[in-house]
Formats: sequence, structure tokens, C-alpha cells
Amino acid sequence: MTDGLALATRGLQKRYGSRTALAGLDLTVPAGVVYGFLGPNGAGKTTTMRLLTGLIHPDAGTIEILGRPFGRRDRRRLFEVGALIESPSFYPYLSARENLRALAATGAPTSTSRIEELLELVGLRDRARDKVQTYSLGMKQRLGIAAALLSDPSLLLLDEPSNGLDPAGIVAMRETLKQLALSGKTVFVSSHILGEVQQLADVLGIIAAGRLVREGPIDQLLQGEGVVRVRVTPAEVAAAKLVLDRLAPDSPSSTTGDGGWLSLRIPPDRAAEVNRALAAAGIHASGLETGNDLESLFLELTGGDDSANPEGTFFGTAGGNVRPPAGPGAGGVA
Amino acid sequence: MRLFMAGLRKLVRRPATYVTFGLLVGLLALIYLAVGGTARQTAAAGNGGEQALLLLTFPGAYTLLLSFILGLGGLFAMIYGAAIAGSEWTWGTLKAAVARGESRSRYQLLSFSSIGVLVGIGLLVAFGIGVAVAIVAAGIAGVSTSGLGDAATLGTLPALLGRGWLALAEACALGFTIATLARSQLAGIGVGIAVYFGEQFASIFLPDVVKYLPFNAATAVVATSGRVGGGGGGAAPVRLDPDTALFVVAAWLIGALIVTALFTERAEISG
Repeated sequence: MTDGLALATRGLQKRYGSRTALAGLDLTVPAGVVYGFLGPNGAGKTTTMRLLTGLIHPDAGTIEILGRPFGRRDRRRLFEVGALIESPSFYPYLSARENLRALAATGAPTSTSRIEELLELVGLRDRARDKVQTYSLGMKQRLGIAAALLSDPSLLLLDEPSNGLDPAGIVAMRETLKQLALSGKTVFVSSHILGEVQQLADVLGIIAAGRLVREGPIDQLLQGEGVVRVRVTPAEVAAAKLVLDRLAPDSPSSTTGDGGWLSLRIPPDRAAEVNRALAAAGIHASGLETGNDLESLFLELTGGDDSANPEGTFFGTAGGNVRPPAGPGAGGVA
Repeated sequence: MRLFMAGLRKLVRRPATYVTFGLLVGLLALIYLAVGGTARQTAAAGNGGEQALLLLTFPGAYTLLLSFILGLGGLFAMIYGAAIAGSEWTWGTLKAAVARGESRSRYQLLSFSSIGVLVGIGLLVAFGIGVAVAIVAAGIAGVSTSGLGDAATLGTLPALLGRGWLALAEACALGFTIATLARSQLAGIGVGIAVYFGEQFASIFLPDVVKYLPFNAATAVVATSGRVGGGGGGAAPVRLDPDTALFVVAAWLIGALIVTALFTERAEISG
């Protein structure tokens, strides 16, 4: 399956007792790109990361890493992989430098000069002698990224890498990851921060309820995924809906159920046209905004999935403009 | 080798290493000095002080000291092993190593090897400090230390210390294994302490069975004439002979490490 691919999974399944975490995941990650792996909480992102790093084992399905099969007995394939999974893991009583040295003693051989290089890269050189227990969350995250880069991996797996980073840290991390991809490495980033992924990723995979529901180059996926939202008084909702539906007959508007907002799936540059049409009909919008393209796509593909978002918060609160996740056939390159 | 050396470096920097060792040596010194200060009066009053004076009378004091260290030190070694193994799961550092492609069983066994080496060093240092404290306590009690240089006893010390090291390593391996199975530092320590005291308590009712259990066997690897160590009160213990005890201790040690390696190989690592 694998020429030119950094990572590929086929039919990957994992259950925890009676709960299905992955229900046949097919990922196709080209080499040399930043791959954004998106999904709501509980969709199976971290389970996927654990499977890709051999921490847990699949019930069914196959994994290929850098063009070769990866199974229980292929731990050495991970010598070419760097990973940051969930929270960074360190000995709190050791310094950053000592922690990296301890980690460098495992897996692929790593030079001490590489440790200094990475401490510089993640901006921890001045604090390298301090115990990790004195670090902030953001500093631990930076150290976690340094640890993932320790063996100069060809494939980097990062689970929510911007967790705890300040804005400058997020920008620096983004630039670093882009540079790594430009140098031919593959960066696989799992996240639910859509804006971050949109700025970073070349290729996107969206997972919901343990299945891949969409995958492909981000530019292709976002084509035609714009949305314009308007806010009107509750009494005007019905009339406004008629106006909006005339503007985009193929994509009827929908109410979002949160105080008179209506959503219309049209390119954001038609926002002024929407406003004019409403005004012409005697409806004066008290709010108008253009939606995040990726957010629209994400909500469309995952928003109605209760199992993936049991609390019904964040991505699951929108009512009318979300549709149930695509079925098993929706996976694959768009 | 780099993993073993890294393990040693980690342990040398770890506060738990010094806390555990400090507690053992501190208690040992306290008890010996207390014995030195009170044994003469207790003996004069006919309250069993003669038995206590044996602790300070060389050359017999060498083996009693070692036996004492194995008794109390066995408990501390078990706690130490549990603390080290449990933290690998609690802090996620085992997860980080496995995700780098490190062999799970190799990581665990080499981590334990590092602990074993440090326990050996700890035993030697504790024994040295114990001898020094025993000399001071003997001076306080007015007991002669003329047997200190007894050549025959000194000649057996390396072998006795070697046996003692194996016994402490076994106790440590049990803690290491229990914490691995529990995947938790606190749970490992808690369960380990319960097992230790459970074994001591059970020796009152099932002495013929309990003598084969790990902590009883560990204290029996060094032959002594008196009862010392952390075993608590109760009836005179039924003990294995030192050579059988050594075999039993080795079996427990190897068994514990096999269980650790197999469990870690098969474990699903999360969190």
C-alpha cells in the first residue's frame, strides 16, 4: 500500500471492553507533509497515537510506518519515529538536560550534541539545569517536543502539541514543524484546535467515532466549505430563511438554535450580498459573520456524533447546521 | 550498557534513594545507641539485657548486624523497588521509552539491574556505618570490642554480604514487581507493605509455610543465633537453613523478574 507514504493504516480496530475506540481506521499519510489529524474528544485520536507507537496493540488491521509493516515485534521501526503522546513524560526530580539524556539512552542511539541542539531549538537552554518539577506546562510541552525530536526522526507523531504553549510558543512550534516538513520529514499532528491545524497542515484527516470520515489535501477539502451566519430577531427567522434559501437554492439555510442565528453554506465573500438581500426584504440583521471553513467541515462531519461528544458541548451544540457523520464509505482521499 | 548507566544516574539523583537509605541507617543507629545506653542496666536487672548485649559483642555482632539490616532493610528495599517501578508508570517515562522503540522487558530488567547495584552499594555502606555505630554503642555499654578483628569471622564477611545483597535484591524485586502489576507507585508501595507485614503476621499461624515466603527466606540467608530485625514480636521463628534460604531467595528473585518482564511485554500502556 505504501510507496511514498510515511504512514498507512488499514482496517485498524481497537476495543476497550465493550467500547469501540477504533472501528476500522484507514489513514494514508504521504511523506514530507504536515498531516492534521482532527476529531472531537473521544473520537479515537489518542488511541490511534498509542497504536502507532506500539503502546497498545490493535484487535485487527495493519499499520505501515515508513513503508514497512509495524507489528508487535517491529519495535525498531520506532527508531525513526518521534512521538509526544498525551502529556509529556519526565522524571520531575531531573533537569531538562538530564531527562533528555535519560531518554536518549533508550531506543535509537543519540549524541549528546543533539540534546544541546534541541534545548536551544525549544528555547530551554537557559533553564536546562532546572528540575522539570519547577517547569510550567508550556515549558514541559516544549521539552516534550524536544524529546520527540531526539533521534532526528523521519516521522513525528504529536498529540495536541500546542497544549499549554503561549502564543509565541505556538507560532514558534508551527514554524518549526513546517520547517521539518520542508526538510522532508513527515509531521502527524493530532488536535482538536481547528485554527491551529488549518494554519499548519497540508493534509487533513478527520476522525469521528473511530472511523476516518474525510481525508485529503486541506485546500481540496475546504473548497466550497464556506459559511455565512446572520442573526435576526426570532420573529424574523422564518422570513429570513426564505430570503437566504433563494440565495443558495442548493444549500438550504439552517437555524443554529442559539438566539436567532441562521447559517448559509455559501462562500464568505458573499456576505455583503446576504446582508443586502435581507435589507431589501426589510429584515435588518443584528449580527453577521463568516464562518471558519474548517469548522464548517468539521461540524458537518462530526457534530452530530453523540458518542464522540457525549457532553454535547463545544463542537456538538450547533443544531440545524450539523449533519450526522458520514458512513463507513466516506473515508479515503477526497 | 547505556540504559544501565542511565538507570544508575537516575537513581543517584533521586531523593527516594537517600530518604530510604537515610531512614534505614538512622533507625539502625538509633536502635544500636539505645541498646548501648540501656543494655547494661537491663542486664543487671535481669530483664534480658544479655541478649541485647550480643548485638554489640564482636565478632558475633557482625552477623547480627547483617541480619538486622536484612530484616529492616528488606522492608525498605521493597518500598524502594516499588517506588522506582511504580513511578515509571505514574510519570509515563516507561511509555516514553517504549514509544522510542525500546524493548519493554530489557528496559525493566536493566532498570532493576541498576537498582540492584545501588542496593548492593547501600548494603555495604549501611553495614560499614552499622559497625561504626555498634563500636560506639559497645563503648557506651562498656562491652569489649576485642573480637572486632576476629580473622575467621572477617573471612566469612564477603560471602555473608553477598548473601545479604541477594536477599535485599529479592525484597526489592518483589516491590518492583508488585508496583509493575499495580502500574502505580503508591499502590505498589501500599500493597508491598501489606504483603511484608502480612507475611510476618502469618508466621505466627503457618510457620512451616511462611518460612518459604520471600521476606522470611531473605532474613534466613544469614545464620544467626538470636532474633533481630524488623520481624516484630511473636513466637521464635521457624527458619530455613541458610543454604536452602539462599536457593529460595534466588527463586523468588528470578520469579519476580520474569513476572515483571512478561507483564510489561504484554501490558497495554496508556495514561
